[in-house]
Amino acid sequence: MNATQPAPMLEARGLVKRYEDGVLALDLVSFAVRAGEIYAMLGANGAGKTTTINIFLNFVEPTEGEALVDGIVTHKDPLAAKERLAYVSENVMLYPNFTAIQNLEFFARLAGKTEVTRDECRDVLRRVGLQDDAHAKRLKGFSKGMRQKCGIAIAILKDAPAILLDEPTSGLDPKAGFEFLNLLAILRSEGKAILMSTHDIFRAKEIADTVGIMSAGRLALQRPASELAGQDLEQLYLQHMAGHVERAA
Amino acid sequence: MLTLIIEKEIRDLVSTARFAVTFGICSLLILLTFYVGARTYALQTEQYEAARKEQLRQLEGVTDWSSVRSARVFLPPQPLAALVTGISNDIGRNAEVRGRGEANPQDSRYAEDPIYAVFRFLDLDFLFQILLSLFAILFGYDAVCGEKERGTLRLTFAQAVPRSTYILGKLVGSFVALGIPLIVPLLIGCAILPMLGVPLSAEEWLRLAFIVASGLLFFGVFLNCSILVSALTHRSSNAFLAMLVVWIMAIIVVPRTAVVIAGRAVDVPTVDELASKKSRYSAQLFAEDRMAMGKFVPSNPTGPQVMQEFNKFMSKIADERQKKMDEFSSRLNEERVNMQRIQEDLAFGIARISPVASLSLGLADLANSGLDLKEEFQSSIQRYQRSYGEFMVKKTGMNPGGGMIMRITDDSDREKPKPIDPSELPVFVFQPETLSASLASALPDLGLLAALATVLFLAATMAFLRYDVR
Ligand SMILES: Nc1ncnc2c1ncn2[C@@H]1O[C@H](COP(=O)(O)OP(=O)(O)OP(=O)(O)O)[C@@H](O)[C@H]1O
Ligand SMILES: [Mg+2]
Repeated sequence: MNATQPAPMLEARGLVKRYEDGVLALDLVSFAVRAGEIYAMLGANGAGKTTTINIFLNFVEPTEGEALVDGIVTHKDPLAAKERLAYVSENVMLYPNFTAIQNLEFFARLAGKTEVTRDECRDVLRRVGLQDDAHAKRLKGFSKGMRQKCGIAIAILKDAPAILLDEPTSGLDPKAGFEFLNLLAILRSEGKAILMSTHDIFRAKEIADTVGIMSAGRLALQRPASELAGQDLEQLYLQHMAGHVERAA
Repeated sequence: MLTLIIEKEIRDLVSTARFAVTFGICSLLILLTFYVGARTYALQTEQYEAARKEQLRQLEGVTDWSSVRSARVFLPPQPLAALVTGISNDIGRNAEVRGRGEANPQDSRYAEDPIYAVFRFLDLDFLFQILLSLFAILFGYDAVCGEKERGTLRLTFAQAVPRSTYILGKLVGSFVALGIPLIVPLLIGCAILPMLGVPLSAEEWLRLAFIVASGLLFFGVFLNCSILVSALTHRSSNAFLAMLVVWIMAIIVVPRTAVVIAGRAVDVPTVDELASKKSRYSAQLFAEDRMAMGKFVPSNPTGPQVMQEFNKFMSKIADERQKKMDEFSSRLNEERVNMQRIQEDLAFGIARISPVASLSLGLADLANSGLDLKEEFQSSIQRYQRSYGEFMVKKTGMNPGGGMIMRITDDSDREKPKPIDPSELPVFVFQPETLSASLASALPDLGLLAALATVLFLAATMAFLRYDVR
């Protein structure tokens, strides 16, 4: 490791996950995300992206290896690790009977931001592009994209040093997707370490500092985005997909 | 953190349409129960007063205490028994007391108005059993698994939230969110009782407070049970099904099965069996006395005292016969009561597997309308019988025991007889159980409810610590 580089904020060390039913979801996955870095995880459905994120959140325990947040092993001290984590799931679900602002307030307080104000909530909702007239509406009638925006707002409000994003742009319209990239860039400039799983190869290449391609639980390829500049990422991705299919067969 | 979760839980529960509708129905039923209770009490009081008046009226114009054969006593209506009927409608409400012999309560409300027996009364016991348990199930069954299904559990546990804090917040929050809305109509119901003409003594208010508290305790048992089940399942439909089974078992199957099992296991002689034994023995005694009667020889066969002497003799053998009869029937009764006790204890013991049985028994103790009521009425009657017997001896010189008294009356040299004063009759006093005695007998059942609530609470916590929140 380069001595000048800071210690990683998010780190996977030889993660292996075998589910109870015998499925090997992760097979020796190792990577690191430093503060001010975006790591994009690509991979087919079932490649193990969500499993990796779940291990960071201590929703599942690794069979072998460990995941660290700011040097804290997640399954040993999950509460301390989670204090440093913000998270957006692929399908954000909030309390349907609460308004957007009430949901934001609740989760911000739960995350330890006890004195969060309604104005702050409104500001963040504006930042993620949720139209003003929806702020005080119950979540019940929200579209998936609108819920996704609220989820992103909750993650931003928490102001944690590490952010886990599991297909955060799923359901976002192109404009919102584009704005989200800008938002990510801002968060990176604020020094957050961001681990994002996505199916969007082009955006991944555009925004990420490092790209990892997962295939059948293995990290098949891991490159700095700068090295990929001249290469066709789509071609690479499909090659690894092919490998995935071969292995699976 | 805990208050935040409690607060969220309350808001989440209260903001649903399901809550508004259910709460509305519950409130209506609660108020209706109090109204029905108050009306029942008013009606019972009216009937009670009328029956007592009728009893005194029948004594009007009677000129001789010796022609009074018996006094009828009435169980005064109890306001709390109108709210928690217990067995108060199944036992006899009056008794004909003679100077001697058995005096059994008769004319139960259900015997007189069978229509009530068909539907039973809408009382607090019924209300708590059915309504509170359903209320708890309806809002508790998806407490945990519902949040998982809706996906909010995932985001919650992406924050640094200790699981024990979360489940505690759930339990407390849902108890507060559902309990307080239940207390409000209950308190209103209590408050309108005096307005509906139901006078309550300070002691009865205290009893009522305990009754309401028991209802909430029972509610807590079902709520904790629902939350436990919701923390053991991952689908709310499964949780609901499981709770439905628990409900049917607790409310219907266990109490009924307990009675059937106890009925099979312990053989209690029927009242008819006892009556036929008694009448056989009585006939035997009568035959013996008839022989003795034939041997009666007056000391002075021609004197005017013959009739009086004969009466005395008759009274003496009647007393002796009665004594033997009393001994015999009290032995039989005691045997029966003992067997009944054993049967009851067995039935209640089994039924207490279900919290419903503990609730019912505890409530009946608190309202003083349980099985003890029958015994209290019985012993009040026996006390009255003694004072009535003494009174009659004072008035007529002998205890007639309802039998005939022969006397020679010679109206010619006497002035017109004066009517008796019915108010001289001893007053029947019904001695209900004291509050401390009621509490003492209710305590084991309430303790059982509290213990069950605690165990379920701990079990729910344990289950949630191992819950897959993904
Ligand atoms: N709870 C579980 N029990 C058993 N197997 C599981 C479980 N969760 C996931 N898996 C398996 O683990 C593998 C990885 O799943 P994972 O959800 O991590 O994929 P993913 O990369 O997030 O896919 P997607 O792009 O569809 O979100 C899959 O084969 C999946 O079937
Ligand atoms: Mg996934």
